[in-house]
Amino acid sequence: MYTLYLDTHSNKIIIVLYNNDQILIKQEQNTSYDHSISTMPLLIKTLEQHNLKAEDLNQIVVVNGPGSFTGVRIGVTIAKTLAYTLNVPIKTVSSLFIKAVSIDHEEVTIVEREKNGVFLGKFDKNNNLIEDYQYLKNKEYESLTNKQNFVENIALDYEKIKKSLEALENQNPHSVKPLYVKKIEVEK
Amino acid sequence: MKDVYILAIETSCDETSMAIVKNGHHVESFTVLTQMDTHANYGGVVPEIASRMHTENITLVFEETMKKSKIKMAQIDAIAVTYAPGLLGSLLVGVEFAKTIAFVYNKPLIAVNHTIGHIYANNIDNELQFPLLALVVSGGHTDLIEMNKDYDFNVLGSTMDDAIGEAFDKVARVLDLKYPGGPNVERLAKLGQPTYKLPKPLNDKSLNFSFSGLKSSIINLVHNERQRNHEINKEDLACSFQTTAFDEVTRKVELALQHKKYRQLIIAGGVSASQYLRKEIKTLADKYDILLNIPDFKYCTDNAAMIGAAAYPLYLEKKFADYSLNAQSGASLNSK
Repeated sequence: MYTLYLDTHSNKIIIVLYNNDQILIKQEQNTSYDHSISTMPLLIKTLEQHNLKAEDLNQIVVVNGPGSFTGVRIGVTIAKTLAYTLNVPIKTVSSLFIKAVSIDHEEVTIVEREKNGVFLGKFDKNNNLIEDYQYLKNKEYESLTNKQNFVENIALDYEKIKKSLEALENQNPHSVKPLYVKKIEVEK
Repeated sequence: MKDVYILAIETSCDETSMAIVKNGHHVESFTVLTQMDTHANYGGVVPEIASRMHTENITLVFEETMKKSKIKMAQIDAIAVTYAPGLLGSLLVGVEFAKTIAFVYNKPLIAVNHTIGHIYANNIDNELQFPLLALVVSGGHTDLIEMNKDYDFNVLGSTMDDAIGEAFDKVARVLDLKYPGGPNVERLAKLGQPTYKLPKPLNDKSLNFSFSGLKSSIINLVHNERQRNHEINKEDLACSFQTTAFDEVTRKVELALQHKKYRQLIIAGGVSASQYLRKEIKTLADKYDILLNIPDFKYCTDNAAMIGAAAYPLYLEKKFADYSLNAQSGASLNSK
């Protein structure tokens, strides 16, 4: 059973191909926020290296944010289109959740940095989200006095990420959408 | 020859649209999901919201388009998508969707310029007759273009500042009309008379256009009248603006027709939905005894059927794009 994992939420494109729980290949490519040029070619190259076609995929997993709006939209669009056209299950994971599941922890707040601020996600020891995701501007974040159990710079563990998927429900591809968290001007 | 079916995708602004077009001329299936009501709340298209809505709706529009047609994906010969010009974030959703289905179904990918799409809307249930003169009028364009064959564009004249649709949107805002401005100005104009004296846009012999002066004169007029607590007759002002703007467009089309004998005159772009402009151009075509084509109303505004029509000549020449295709906010007609 082949699972395709796609993460385009940051300035890196990450594609992991699993056969059951085993990592077949992990591809990582830096972009200067031009995910559009490189994501599909990298995805196709990844499958070709293992002589796989799109229809060999049995499950799609996509990081749906928060992160770069455009980056996330590219990953989500590709992932939901794959899941819909191939008629295979799709799961979404957040950019904070994948970090939380990569480490052993008690109650923890995961910190995901972006250019002008940080995304925060507070999880219990079983990786259940305790509070809604938050976005703070750098200045607001710096002025936080209590940063107990805040963790950033987490190395992602793709075996743990794969295991964490079992607890997640499949989604209808039509309703898969990005998780933006950060408000835009007209929403304020 | 075997029939060619192209599945086309258009997401350049605030419409998520897909169509299946046969042989570049016949629309087999057609879906347009407009976000107009959402953007009307903000007085204009909010690019970030447009991109978000495309992402949410893209597979639904695909499902709907395939359901409406007897054509199955196996019979589709190519996937065409608008790659430019337009809102970058919006275009990207269509481009990534197109690349993904091209990969899944193993079909060639065709990158289509949105403006060329508007021109080829005139090939739907019709045939372009060369040499032709095309008037492209939209929120981003006011161009007079000569075509001697498929994909041969000789720009004879362009706007030097605002596009005509842009001017309509700005005037609509001054008159407190809702987005989209063009249709609302026209609705109001129908109730008025061209009583306001406005400056002639570009009173010259070139084939270029200018609408910013006309737009500014209206903005100034409205401000001055309001300062003096004078009532503005919005209907008359809308009518005066529309008449002045379209009379200038028509005058330039006439100049072009005097320069050279064309077989066909076509109109393209969102503003070609204007009934006033259609009537004026019809009168002109009759006067010069030239074949006139104006697309069906539903193919004047942004839609994927025109993208399928514009992709057909590229399909015949096997001008295919690869998976590194990127969206571009701007592009010239001859760039791809």
